[in-house]
Amino acid sequence: MANLVIMPRQGQSVESCIITAWHKKKGDKVAEGDIIYSYETDKSAFDEPSLYSGTILEVFAAEGDVVPCLDPVCIIGEEGEDISALIPGGAAEEAAPEVKAEEKKEEVVAAPVATGEVVKGERVKISPRAKALSLKTGVDMTKVVPTGPHGRIIERDINLALDAGYRASSAAVEAFLRGEAVEVPEEAPEAVAPAAPVAAAAVNFAECEEVPMSGVRRAISRSMHASLSEMAQLTLNASFDATKLMAYRASLKAGAEALGLPKISLNDMVFFAVSRTLLKHPDVNATLKDDVIRKYKHANIGLAVDTERGLLVPTIFGADTLSLAEISKANKEAAGKAREGTLTPDEMSGGTFTITNLGSLGIESFTPVINPPQVAILGVCAITQRLKADGSVYSAMGLSLTFDHRAIDGAPAARFLKDLATALENFDILLAQ
Amino acid sequence: MPKSQYISPEVAFEKGFIEFDKIPLCQYSKTLAEEKKIYTKDDFLRIYRDMRIIREFETMLNEIKVKSVYNGVAYNNPGPAHLSIGQEASAVGQAYCLDINDYTFGSHRSHGEILAKGLSSINKLDETELYDIMKEFLGGNILSVVEGKENKKGDVKDLAIDFLLYGALAEIFARTTGFNRGLGGSMHAFFIPFGIFPNNAIVGGAAPVALGAALYKRSCHKKGIVIANSGDGALGRGPVLEALNMANMDQIRKLWGMDGKYDDSGMPILFNVFNNFYGMGGQTKGETMGFDIAARLGAGFSPEMMHAEKVNGYDPLAVIDATTRKKELLLKGEGPALLEVATYRVSGHSPSDSSTYRTAEEIEEWKNACPIAAYRAKMIKGKVATAAEFDAIEEDIIKRVTKICEMAVDETISPRMDLDKTPDMISSIMFSNTLTPSMDTEREPEVLMPKEENPRVKQLATKARFAYDEKGEMIPKIKQFGLRDGLFEAILDKFYEDPTTIAYGEDNRDWGGAFAVYRGLTEALPYHRFFNSPISEAAIVGSAVGYAMAGGRAIVELMYADFIGCAGDEIFNQLSKWQSMSAGILKMPVVVRVSVGSKYGAQHSQDWTALCSHIPGLKVCFPATPYDAKGLMAEALNGTDPVIFFESQRIYDIGEQFHEGGVPAESYTVKFGEPDVKREGKDVTILTIGAVLYRALDAAKKLESEYGISAEVIDARSIVPFNYEKVIESVKKTGKIIIVGDACDRNSVMRDMASNITEMAFDYLDAPPVVFGSRNWITPAYEFEKYFFPQADGIIDVISQKLMPIAGRTYTVNESELEHIERNKVGL
Repeated sequence: MANLVIMPRQGQSVESCIITAWHKKKGDKVAEGDIIYSYETDKSAFDEPSLYSGTILEVFAAEGDVVPCLDPVCIIGEEGEDISALIPGGAAEEAAPEVKAEEKKEEVVAAPVATGEVVKGERVKISPRAKALSLKTGVDMTKVVPTGPHGRIIERDINLALDAGYRASSAAVEAFLRGEAVEVPEEAPEAVAPAAPVAAAAVNFAECEEVPMSGVRRAISRSMHASLSEMAQLTLNASFDATKLMAYRASLKAGAEALGLPKISLNDMVFFAVSRTLLKHPDVNATLKDDVIRKYKHANIGLAVDTERGLLVPTIFGADTLSLAEISKANKEAAGKAREGTLTPDEMSGGTFTITNLGSLGIESFTPVINPPQVAILGVCAITQRLKADGSVYSAMGLSLTFDHRAIDGAPAARFLKDLATALENFDILLAQ
Repeated sequence: MPKSQYISPEVAFEKGFIEFDKIPLCQYSKTLAEEKKIYTKDDFLRIYRDMRIIREFETMLNEIKVKSVYNGVAYNNPGPAHLSIGQEASAVGQAYCLDINDYTFGSHRSHGEILAKGLSSINKLDETELYDIMKEFLGGNILSVVEGKENKKGDVKDLAIDFLLYGALAEIFARTTGFNRGLGGSMHAFFIPFGIFPNNAIVGGAAPVALGAALYKRSCHKKGIVIANSGDGALGRGPVLEALNMANMDQIRKLWGMDGKYDDSGMPILFNVFNNFYGMGGQTKGETMGFDIAARLGAGFSPEMMHAEKVNGYDPLAVIDATTRKKELLLKGEGPALLEVATYRVSGHSPSDSSTYRTAEEIEEWKNACPIAAYRAKMIKGKVATAAEFDAIEEDIIKRVTKICEMAVDETISPRMDLDKTPDMISSIMFSNTLTPSMDTEREPEVLMPKEENPRVKQLATKARFAYDEKGEMIPKIKQFGLRDGLFEAILDKFYEDPTTIAYGEDNRDWGGAFAVYRGLTEALPYHRFFNSPISEAAIVGSAVGYAMAGGRAIVELMYADFIGCAGDEIFNQLSKWQSMSAGILKMPVVVRVSVGSKYGAQHSQDWTALCSHIPGLKVCFPATPYDAKGLMAEALNGTDPVIFFESQRIYDIGEQFHEGGVPAESYTVKFGEPDVKREGKDVTILTIGAVLYRALDAAKKLESEYGISAEVIDARSIVPFNYEKVIESVKKTGKIIIVGDACDRNSVMRDMASNITEMAFDYLDAPPVVFGSRNWITPAYEFEKYFFPQADGIIDVISQKLMPIAGRTYTVNESELEHIERNKVGL
């Protein structure tokens, strides 16, 4: 009768063994006591003697194989014998039903996060860290909800209140911590202005207001630093004759109301020109990440918006498919949302190019910083008066294009800028296309 | 058990009788006429002089102790003075035949032994050697005191006697001009250049230590013998009996020779019992012991009965005769030997002893038998010298001891350590902190094969040195290079670098250590560098201490950390203290490997890092990754400080999951004391000690994926020393820390760390540092381990209960403050 030889279990902790050598092969005759194979655990080496006499009819593992303990290694029996019943997965083998360990019902304690309330007149329970943070930031302690163990105020509680804009003053925090009643105006002023110093008091020139970075500020900080430290950025400056552009805008301004058009800005017009020009320059309408350049078929243009919380860049998706009026409308909506702080993360990602405008602030040229993983950004500059060779004066608008030299070479970038300038100088033709 | 030795039932059940030879009792019977053929007149007088010096030295100590004045010199000595007045002949008789290559180890009643050995060495050394020794010792500090301002050389041997007496007395009086800067004191005085090794305040403490020094001579082929002195009372101590047994191991003569390849001589050690019949007050003969005569013990330890005999310790010539014969026997390779020297202490155990345990008549009778007076009378009667000559010697000794005493009590020439001016004086000697990769660069390491031919080395070449493959998938465990492999590589490297390195412990050879760390060493090393010890933890660690004192490096293994208790004195009082008690003269390059068990219940699963780190003078580490284990082991083995090296049986097979590029095959070190950030995070810090690291990482993953909490996991790696800076940095970031380990919570290292972190980072804390260790229970069976050891879910629970409540968390453990108050109320 054939017998299954299994991998022995050499110790409780041993899960599997490596077969280091076969001393017999399939078809070999073995006598009881003959060494069939050698194997080792991570602790020691063993020789496996045969418990049976016969022929090796089947071998399930080769030298170097890892065999789980108690799994079959080979079959020894008489030649010609039917061994199908012994072969793992064979007809006769029935998987032993796995006994499911009865799930132990543990005595559990539900853990809602208890939110407490600071009771006036009682000692305020607050961690040293939260206390330091509250004094430093002058958070409005009346708005802080303790969520720490035993109703203790912990760091996250202060941060939550700060994120919601609840600020008072350090003096108010100190008073609160002393258990005194503190009243903070409902409108949560930016900061309680310190009383004007009496004339005799010395002025402290080192005085400053420490403001921890807000979430938006931190995000900008990270993104901009990464941009400058990881990319090979350089900026090309050019200008174009904005005479026709301005004339067209003036004509729109006059007829807009009558036509039911939105108020279209110069920026909207540049935006429109860029959306069309980009399609001819897929090198520029691209992203670079992990050594892969992605060139996009549509222009998803980021609009840099200056808000109170910091710079936000909503994306206008498919700008190349929108009309000038539609672009103008989309820009206004996006800028509004940015200022209100209601943009979703999705609305601020996915851009393929960005436009930023400092022209209204009189900047004549600058170095915009690319918004990664994009490869270029256009800065729109102020309109200045320039002289032509014939001595006549015209209005010139500056354009500053920063591009990532890792992805684009100088000449193609310059060609984009030139095409853009041409399109803007001939805005009426562009519209007609 | 080596396969070459065969045990058959036939032999095991053989009929017969054990035959004992006779053990000689006080058989010395030489006449003075016979002795005159051996000794010159000078020899005879020197024997007298040495006995008389010891007597006067101890009389002085006794006078100072009980009257606060000796010969007009007033002093108050608050320290101990365990005197041996009456035992002088025994000490001088023993030392007579010894030279500086012979090492003596003493008991806590050893002033006489130290002085006798010193005087004998002074006699044997030539003047130049002697002067150089004095000049070099502690920068000539002691020499300049005894030479005085004139700095004139004079009679070097005479000067050396002053040097010896002064060095010992200044040490007893805790002066910086003592042999060990006053840090050892009366019960720990010694002077290595004369072959005087430490005596020991622990009764019987020196026996295993002396065995280690003999092992050093035996394994490193050094000249001379070792004498382990003890009193009769010490024979009741386990470590002494363990040392007696281990010195007699069959393998030393039967296996260590390796068929003529190496030396097959016996252990060169003489166990010398100064039997004064009292262990403090307990009477060993007739009350606290059953051996009747101490020499009888020899019959219990070897078929040669340890060549045991008893001699009359009141006759210096009889003791010289016996000790000389034993020394010859040991040098011929027939050791070890046992000698009982019968003697009597007429002084009390200490000056406060009123001798309630013995009669005045008994003391009087022994006083009348005074060995010094009897010797003098015998010499005068035998016309060796005149009474006037003896009187002159005596007069000179009293003058000398008075002078030495005056110098030793003088604060200006014998100042005490000034801890106001140099507050770090003791701090600076707690560890030697030196790196000495080889303790003997002259000799080639003895090995049996080139390293690269070693079967384990070949096997490891096929293993994956990083746990994950290129795709980031875990390689099967058995194919990974494990933590035990990292330890092996560092240890093997050291064996091929430092010829003095030896390793031993239970089941180390053939078996390869119970957890296979040493698999492959048997093939690489001869027996005298790597052997199986008897199951004698005290002798294992104690002998490693002596091995290191003598100049070697030892790696010893206690199979389970729980057996630390069996080697308690050797770890806590010997290993830890000799570097500092010697004022940094001794080095202690010993690594004690201890393994924390798993699945083995209450006496085999304990993490005792707290016990070891509580004792000043020990370095303690507990690596949890192959990279750290190899690097820390290499660092421990390069150093000269004692290291308790904790390992965990849960993770001997774990592969390297952190170090980029895996575990390097070449040698490298990981510095002691530097914790390692294994996972970065920002919301909470988890500091782990030992194998719990992996459960903490599981908790960190779950915290991230289920609760959006980012946990930083720091692996302590070392416990003593420990650099808190990295932990404090992390706490500054997260404001919250939980410390986890498998040790029982109460008084654990975790508690100590929590307390330190609270003090160091209080203002940054958002919650008190919390500890999550094992329950203060016995370790239950494996099936219940999750109720005992900290688990990943428990870690999250504690974070939620004590650091930052997690909404919706369902708890598996209750670690609330209230619960802890209740547990503590009932001692849990």
